[in-house]
Amino acid sequence: MDQSQLAMVVPRRYLLSEPPSAPVMASSCSQALRHHVCKSSRILRIHLQKSYRSFALNSAADQQPAVSSPEEIVIPKKKTWSKEAVLQALASAVKRDPTASDSRFQDDPYLTPKTSSEFKLFSLSQESGRNAAKYFINTYPKYFQKDYAQPHIPCLMPETLEAQIEEASEAALIERIRMRKVKAAVDLYDQLLQAGTSVSLDVTNQLLDLICFCGDHDPAQENVPEQRNEETEDVQDEPQAKKGRAPKASGLLKATWKENNNAERIFALLSEPNTHSYSALIRGMVKYGAYSKAFSTYTDLLNNRLKADVQTFNALIIAAPEVKEKYNEKWELIVDLLKQMAEQKVKPNLLTLNAVLKALRRCGTLGKSQAFPVISEMKALSIDPSLASYNHLLTIFYKTGATIQGQTDILQEVMNEVSGKSFTAQDPDDAQFFITAMRICLDTKDMEQAYRVHELLGVGENWRLLGNDFQQNIYYARFFSLLCMMENIDVMLKWYRDLVPSVYYPSSNIMRDLLQALDTDNRLDLIPQIWKDIKQLGHANRQNLVEELLILMAREKHNQEVQESFAECALDIKKIYDTGDRGKVLLSWTAGSLSDLISVLLAAHRRQDAWEMLKLFKTHNRVPSEELLNRFLTCVKEAGEVNQAVELVQISAGFCLPETPKLIQRVQQEFELTEQQRNMLSDLEIQTFNSD
Amino acid sequence: MYRRLLININQVRNRFIHTHNTRLTLPSTKCKERESFAPVTWATCTARPLGTSSISFSENKESSTCLSEDKGKTPEENEVNAEVNTDGQKNTEMNEGTDISNATLTSQLETEPVVKPEDSKQLEKTKSGKESLLELLGAMKVEVTTVRKIRPSKTPRMSERPDQEPMESTHSMFQRAAAEGSQQHGTLNPALVAAVSAAASTLPNRHQAESELLKQLRKHEAIPDTQRRADLGHIIADMKVGKRPNGRSNVRPTSQISFDDDGKGYTQDKGITSELGVRRRKSPFTSKRLNLFAAGAEQDTLSDLGPTLWDIDLANQIVQGTNQMPRNGFEEMIQWTKEDKLWQYPINNEAGLEEEASVPFHEHVFLEKHLDESFPQQGPVRHFMELVITGLAKNHHLTVQQKRNIFTGSETTSDRKKMS
Repeated sequence: MDQSQLAMVVPRRYLLSEPPSAPVMASSCSQALRHHVCKSSRILRIHLQKSYRSFALNSAADQQPAVSSPEEIVIPKKKTWSKEAVLQALASAVKRDPTASDSRFQDDPYLTPKTSSEFKLFSLSQESGRNAAKYFINTYPKYFQKDYAQPHIPCLMPETLEAQIEEASEAALIERIRMRKVKAAVDLYDQLLQAGTSVSLDVTNQLLDLICFCGDHDPAQENVPEQRNEETEDVQDEPQAKKGRAPKASGLLKATWKENNNAERIFALLSEPNTHSYSALIRGMVKYGAYSKAFSTYTDLLNNRLKADVQTFNALIIAAPEVKEKYNEKWELIVDLLKQMAEQKVKPNLLTLNAVLKALRRCGTLGKSQAFPVISEMKALSIDPSLASYNHLLTIFYKTGATIQGQTDILQEVMNEVSGKSFTAQDPDDAQFFITAMRICLDTKDMEQAYRVHELLGVGENWRLLGNDFQQNIYYARFFSLLCMMENIDVMLKWYRDLVPSVYYPSSNIMRDLLQALDTDNRLDLIPQIWKDIKQLGHANRQNLVEELLILMAREKHNQEVQESFAECALDIKKIYDTGDRGKVLLSWTAGSLSDLISVLLAAHRRQDAWEMLKLFKTHNRVPSEELLNRFLTCVKEAGEVNQAVELVQISAGFCLPETPKLIQRVQQEFELTEQQRNMLSDLEIQTFNSD
Repeated sequence: MYRRLLININQVRNRFIHTHNTRLTLPSTKCKERESFAPVTWATCTARPLGTSSISFSENKESSTCLSEDKGKTPEENEVNAEVNTDGQKNTEMNEGTDISNATLTSQLETEPVVKPEDSKQLEKTKSGKESLLELLGAMKVEVTTVRKIRPSKTPRMSERPDQEPMESTHSMFQRAAAEGSQQHGTLNPALVAAVSAAASTLPNRHQAESELLKQLRKHEAIPDTQRRADLGHIIADMKVGKRPNGRSNVRPTSQISFDDDGKGYTQDKGITSELGVRRRKSPFTSKRLNLFAAGAEQDTLSDLGPTLWDIDLANQIVQGTNQMPRNGFEEMIQWTKEDKLWQYPINNEAGLEEEASVPFHEHVFLEKHLDESFPQQGPVRHFMELVITGLAKNHHLTVQQKRNIFTGSETTSDRKKMS
């Protein structure tokens, strides 16, 4: 075994794997070899440095070894890469494509959603398919025993849902606790006690944890993030945070803490409960709404000369606003708890102070005076406030429904504080920040801050904190209403093109806002384009939206080109009216919509189409306006169609319009009529006269 | 709020000391006290002649009644009245409030029940202060509520606000102040009696008696005293400020402003709030902290037995709250990698080396030592085996254990397959 042989073997594991560590080997090799390796490694390093920087994963400082002379070798620090490092680097290079839909739907172009309901359906179906598969695998594990994966992939194998250990022992108890089988675990615990076997305190605490966590009920099948039964079809601009929360809240309300349940019973059986036991009990009580009971348990804990842990305090702070009526009492209780924490040398964590801030939301004006001291306290303890903290802060200062003045700068201050920072989710409330901030921007009509909020969303991984699809929809709806209100149409359309429909499917309300924005900025010529989008977004069946569109198109005269496109658009709309969806009539003609449509067609000199439309008045039992008939007659006059003019008069007479005599007069004066036509008109004149 | 409480306590204590003084020395001090007290109340009243709040108004009324009717009243009792009035004020807050014209009426009505129990109190000196105060309060409440019921058509008072919170807080503030005051009365009066007797015996050592009394006070109220000179006028002035939470002034109907003749008080308050606003605007995030925790204090680390059910639940909640959907194919691959569904993208050449990760390379390469035991030192077998170890040294498909098995003859068929 000589050195060359070694060199042949070495590169496989060391030289290629860790270029910076190559010199380590080199120093142990012979001089010639060392030269060679150094040279090659230098080249290699230069290459790799470039690529490392682009990965943006390592600090440049580590990678600046001075290899000025071959004698001087600086050994760089070994870098440990996570197993996702390469993928993360690759993923960071991918930018969002505003023309593409969500990556979930890119597998199958057929399943590219076009409307918000489709989006919801497809994303949910993907998730529910996954759930169904999991359910079958877990229910019939015997059919899924063959392990194809090499190496073994544990998460693809069926989970064991049945307890394996049958005899009554502590191991069996642990197993049941792990499987979250509350009833079985409690029964087994009782059996063990009856048999005289003592169960260790740790295991009992785990059991207490389980019972308190589940509220002494067997937990239902676990929900998967995407699975939510939101019935809200169309995201409107109401305070939706509540709506989104509604199913969860009702789910929690169902289970309440029962007097003398198993947790309390087992707890009472404990000879020497420790902090963990108390913690479990108190947290369970708070979770299931037995707030005052939680406080009395805490008093017990103090009487037993134990210290509470930080989680217990967190739970108690959450419960504090529930047990007191008055704002100052609530706050005093919280301060008291915090003081006790300090006395017991329990260091508060982020969740503690977030809970304090959340409680301050319910302390009225006290919240405003105490919120910032809490944030300062947080900073003094070198706890970085999470987005949830800022969210609570904003909700303290900007109450929904209250008129906002004087504090507009709070949002600005908060934005100054957070902008440019990348946040990670640390609190379940973190995901509320963006929609709250955008709500405030919308309430205060503060476009500048809205841009800052949106900018913050683009920083780092902050997009994750926007929350689920539902919350995203709320956020973008608010952003768009604000854009429609405050921005000029070009900027607005830029955003529109950027976000719709790749991330946001606007509701019909937002589309109406958009139309109004087009109207105010005098860009009605864009209507046909917007109509296409409306159709694609599935809002073509919204009567008021379509009517609004028609009114805008019919209201003013435009140049010929625009009128032409309007006419095309109008005919398209007519098709929607004609064809119902699966036999159902989606839209019903009104006199207004019909006359608007006809005026659009007339303005574009589509007399024939307009004539067809005019007949629809009769079939749908609608009455045309005099103005429309006059306009129609003018148009007919331009074309010189005598017959049509007479027919028009006949139609008018058919509706018994009071305008008919004037129309007859006009026709008689302006057209060259044949004898027969003249007679017909005079007949009509007599008829209308009689009917009057 | 704390400051206010402090002031209140100090005020009560001051009063205590004063009473002590007066009882010990001469009635002339009473007059002095009276005088020193009266101007302050009048000062507040002149500042707001028509009263943006009925506190100052009723206070005004009260002091005038006191001045006119019984000048010889002890200041303590006068203060009791003031306390009662503040409490009456509380009731005013609780009910829908009153406007200025009504304020005069109500304050008149308020003074009547105030005076009555006072007489009774003067009769029964033995009764403890707390009891009499409670009685007063009870009488007050009944009176005031009936008055309110008679007048249903009241325009909301200036300080009354459409939403419940500020009113609630002011109300509670008043209540607390009143409760604090009453508590002080209850605890102090027997102490006062004791102190008077003690002082009588230890005269003329006045200071000692005073310090004793102070000690008593401290026993009941653990809050430290910082400022001494504070009186009812200050308290009321402070209450006025606190009652106006920032940014709420516009919620008030504009018609109320025209009712409010006291332009000065109104603008003054506004000025104060806007000033506060300015101060906050400067540095809301650098404001003073709660100062409850020591900054560097390290917590004695709790024994962690791995994540509990609660930790898992918290993590789950966070995951559910946030958007975990991959944005592109790579992110999806990252997710799969984390779930171990995907073979991990190699970061270095040691990827997939799980079982061999701890084996140093020389174990793979220098295999001569295995020949020492059971093979001859020379000859064709030795030669052959040297070739074998050279081959094995370069074979990266086998683990060290498998290589060893070859020498011991215990290799399995799967090992053989890999070798070929």
